[in-house]
Amino acid sequence: MKQYPRGGIAEPGASLDYHTGSWRLQRPVHVHQAAPCHHACPAGEDAQAYLALVEQGRMQAAWESLVTANPLPAITGRVCPHPCESACNRGQYDEAVSIHGIERFLGDEAIRQGWAYPVAPPPADAPVVAVVGAGPAGLSCAWHLLRAGLRVDVFEAESEPGGICATAIPGYRLPPDTVALECGRLMALDGIEFRPGQRLGRDIQLHELRQQYAAVFLGVGAQQARPWSIDGVTPGDLHDGLALLQEWKRVGQIPVPERVAVVGGGNTAVDLCRVFKRAGAKRVMLVTHSGMPGPGVPDPMRALPRELAQAQEEGVEVLTHRGVRRLVLRGEKAVGIETVHMKKLPDAEGRLRRVAFEGTESLLHVDMIVPATGQDVDGRGFEELLKGSAALAIAADGAIGTPGVYAGGDVTGNAGTVTAAVGQGRRAAAAIVRSLQREAGIDWTDAAPVAFAALNTEYYEPMRRHHGAVLPPAEREGELEVEQGFDPAAAQAEAGRCLSCGNCMACDNCYTLCPDTAVLKTRDLAEDGSHYVFDYEYCKGCGLCANECPTGYIQMVVEP
Amino acid sequence: MSTITNAGAPTRADGTISLTELREQQPRFQGFVGGHRACVGCGQALAARLVTEAAGPDVAVANATGCLEVFSTAWPDSAWRVPWLHSLFENAGAIASGMEAAYKARGVSAKVLAFAGDGGTFDIGFQSLSGMIERNHNVLYVCYDNEAYMNTGIQRSSSTPHAAATTTSPAGRERLGKRHMKKDILQIVAAHHMPYAATASVAYPSDLRKKVRRAMEIEGTTFLLVHSPCPLGWRHDGAKSVEVARLAVTTGLVPIIELERGSLTGSMPIREPRPVVDYLRAQGRFEHLFVDTPAAREELEHIQALANYNMERYQLRGSGHDARDTAGADTVRRGGVRWA
Ligand SMILES: Cc1cc2nc3c(=O)[nH]c(=O)nc-3n(C[C@H](O)[C@H](O)[C@H](O)COP(=O)(O)OP(=O)(O)OC[C@H]3O[C@@H](n4cnc5c(N)ncnc54)[C@H](O)[C@@H]3O)c2cc1C
Ligand SMILES: Cc1ncc(C[n+]2csc(CCOP(=O)(O)OP(=O)(O)O)c2C)c(N)n1
Ligand code: SF4
Ligand code: SF4
Ligand code: SF4
Ligand code: SF4
Repeated sequence: MKQYPRGGIAEPGASLDYHTGSWRLQRPVHVHQAAPCHHACPAGEDAQAYLALVEQGRMQAAWESLVTANPLPAITGRVCPHPCESACNRGQYDEAVSIHGIERFLGDEAIRQGWAYPVAPPPADAPVVAVVGAGPAGLSCAWHLLRAGLRVDVFEAESEPGGICATAIPGYRLPPDTVALECGRLMALDGIEFRPGQRLGRDIQLHELRQQYAAVFLGVGAQQARPWSIDGVTPGDLHDGLALLQEWKRVGQIPVPERVAVVGGGNTAVDLCRVFKRAGAKRVMLVTHSGMPGPGVPDPMRALPRELAQAQEEGVEVLTHRGVRRLVLRGEKAVGIETVHMKKLPDAEGRLRRVAFEGTESLLHVDMIVPATGQDVDGRGFEELLKGSAALAIAADGAIGTPGVYAGGDVTGNAGTVTAAVGQGRRAAAAIVRSLQREAGIDWTDAAPVAFAALNTEYYEPMRRHHGAVLPPAEREGELEVEQGFDPAAAQAEAGRCLSCGNCMACDNCYTLCPDTAVLKTRDLAEDGSHYVFDYEYCKGCGLCANECPTGYIQMVVEP
Repeated sequence: MSTITNAGAPTRADGTISLTELREQQPRFQGFVGGHRACVGCGQALAARLVTEAAGPDVAVANATGCLEVFSTAWPDSAWRVPWLHSLFENAGAIASGMEAAYKARGVSAKVLAFAGDGGTFDIGFQSLSGMIERNHNVLYVCYDNEAYMNTGIQRSSSTPHAAATTTSPAGRERLGKRHMKKDILQIVAAHHMPYAATASVAYPSDLRKKVRRAMEIEGTTFLLVHSPCPLGWRHDGAKSVEVARLAVTTGLVPIIELERGSLTGSMPIREPRPVVDYLRAQGRFEHLFVDTPAAREELEHIQALANYNMERYQLRGSGHDARDTAGADTVRRGGVRWA
């Protein structure tokens, strides 16, 4: 037994012999929750994780973290509608973090500096999977299969990888070099065999692939012009929107009308309008059933708001809530269209339907009318899988119900964006790996993200969002890229705006503020991944650390 | 036993370290450790650790009777890792003066800290404090202001704010809590023409640390009044101690200021002033003000007027973004970088 001197004398710090932890009714625990940006990203990117690395100036580590989900950041950083930023908690504080800007910066830096994709070559005897279509879905699937230690043969009808990104999205917002380099680097990886000029149904057959490969992934997209007419009438010189964009990209020129109407409200329509402007058309009109995107608009166009705004800056006229009534033809050639104002309104049963307003008909003189109302799946080569339907229906993991065959991207009819295609490719890869009785190593979070209310925003400072430079409309010629990226300093500063939702940012608050010195700091990493440990011998469970944790990383749970 | 890897100096064969050993390797000096018997979420315990961390190991403490003294030294334990002496309730100033004189006589260079509650400072210990300042002993006197005599059961002190309920200023039919005003101890102390007297709050640790270091450098008596919430006496959840302290500052009820030789030399501007009801509503000691009677409404207006008066008197209303204002002073950064 310890002997104490008489009188009021105690040894320094002797109170540590008394364990106040026994008072505790609840205990603080570290809980890493998904951030809203992570939850919202269709590709499953954990932006919080790589933003933290960018903030520390660890650019290559950040890129390596990013590509564990999405191998195409230079592309998605430019064209993704970034739902992550719409969900970003910082948006409720001042302005959302420019996640796409940093994603693009990392993608560009990786290409510029030649950072190696973090993956080891698969063993020579690893199972081989066939991926058909080298668009975003196929590229993503191939990458994630490789990461899981499998070999991949990629069959592509075109000569280059990239899909729509390579063949149709105009260079002023997605430079061809960026696509060629990013996709090219992926296809050159040891373990991936790129087979260009191989079209399913023409050069290779589905049954052969199914016989020769451990699994087959179909990422052939949806690139076939959708039949279009107004009351059965079509102009004899009808051009398809996607085909024109592909021609512009391949040849660098397209037929240039004086006045042109483009029908549709998606990316293809808007891109085509901007291309017509660049090619020299005098008047370019976008005719769409939908409304301008904006708060409270029930039927916004599918095109990205910033794309639309830039199109308008460049002189494209946008006619919203407008339908084409009639084609005015002279002989076979279109010379005008009759449009009418229309809107989606609820009928007696509450169902939305389009109503045309009598008395609003007007005639537009145009030399060309181009439908850009969407593309269909070209099912040649896998008719037996489509079984008559327009797209390949998939389960959440990309399985289509035929053993060993998976699909993802636009061919499924529910991707619609590059990032969604990347995500579906990733999920299918995980399912393929699991079907081969292997560890997928592809984690996906569907748990509810950490809410803005769970953060303690007292500890942050307002800071304006950084923007890359934008070419003034007068200087937007040809394929010059309109939006410029961040320099390293801007990327780092912008990453510093991230609130680190749901993950410890090592701010020291808990360590500084615990009245019972029950939070200890480790020099490096504690076992739970944070830099701090709770000393439950002394923690009384007051909850102060949880209340003052800026990131919501500390939660109080009932004492076990 | 939890395992911690990669810590500075692993002491086990497998490269891990025990919590006990980790505690001895913390990057900041800890003059005041856990195992003390303070209530759950005690603001005063937090204040004690923040002040001793900033003051460093070369100090000796004189501590007046009160919660801090009682909860930190339940015999045979002590939460202190620096020389510490219990004075009486009324004489921390006198004891600190004597300690300083003794050190001087023996040629020891160490700063003496005096710690006392608001009862021990504003009321019963005031004369010995005044004498100490008048003789300009080299002592930093820290008053933990929890605005009542908490250790003996929440009796009002001259620091208890107007309208707060305590056991000796209860809220009832005749009175809505304490009738009198909070004593302006800082101005009274500063009127001794002393080198440095300042207020601080546990909600702003960087500001508090800066002030402790400042006071440590000054040869002569310095005074720090640290606003320290008491979950028991103020009747709020222990988890909210820092939040409540922050609201006291951002409403203007507790001005964070510095006085040198009696003149105002520094203040923490309030970037976005909050209405006093935000602060009052968070605490049970003001709950009687939230009934819909003319008297209660008047008291709320009265307290708002007191906050407005403080803001005018010390020009606390911020003008735009300032890194040292109420919103900037507690900003945290990845990696724990703070401004002090
Ligand atoms: C003009 C335009 C602009 C767009 N803008 C954006 C945008 O800004 N942001 C955004 O997120 N999304 C945009 N999209 C949508 C996006 O491009 C697609 O959702 C995405 O590319 C789908 O990827 P995928 O891999 O499924 O298909 P695709 O990109 O279409 O790739 C399919 C690939 O499969 C190949 N292939 C097809 N059939 C066969 C076959 N039988 N055998 C072998 N190979 C075959 C094709 O050659 C192609 O390389 C745009 C689309 C268009 C048309
Ligand atoms: C001369 C004398 N009178 C009364 C007491 C009883 N007593 C001990 S602590 C205390 C109250 C201390 O109040 P305060 O200084 O505000 O410190 P707190 O406990 O609130 O931290 C009292 C009245 C005493 N110890 N000595
Ligand atoms: S891919 Fe899109 S949604 Fe995902 S992080 Fe990048 S910009 Fe955001
Ligand atoms: S603040 Fe950071 S972690 Fe939070 S949602 Fe935005 S980007 Fe993600
Ligand atoms: S602040 Fe300290 S005592 Fe309170 S819950 Fe957190 S670790 Fe435990
Ligand atoms: S308070 Fe700061 S250091 Fe502590 S867990 Fe939260 S984010 Fe991490």
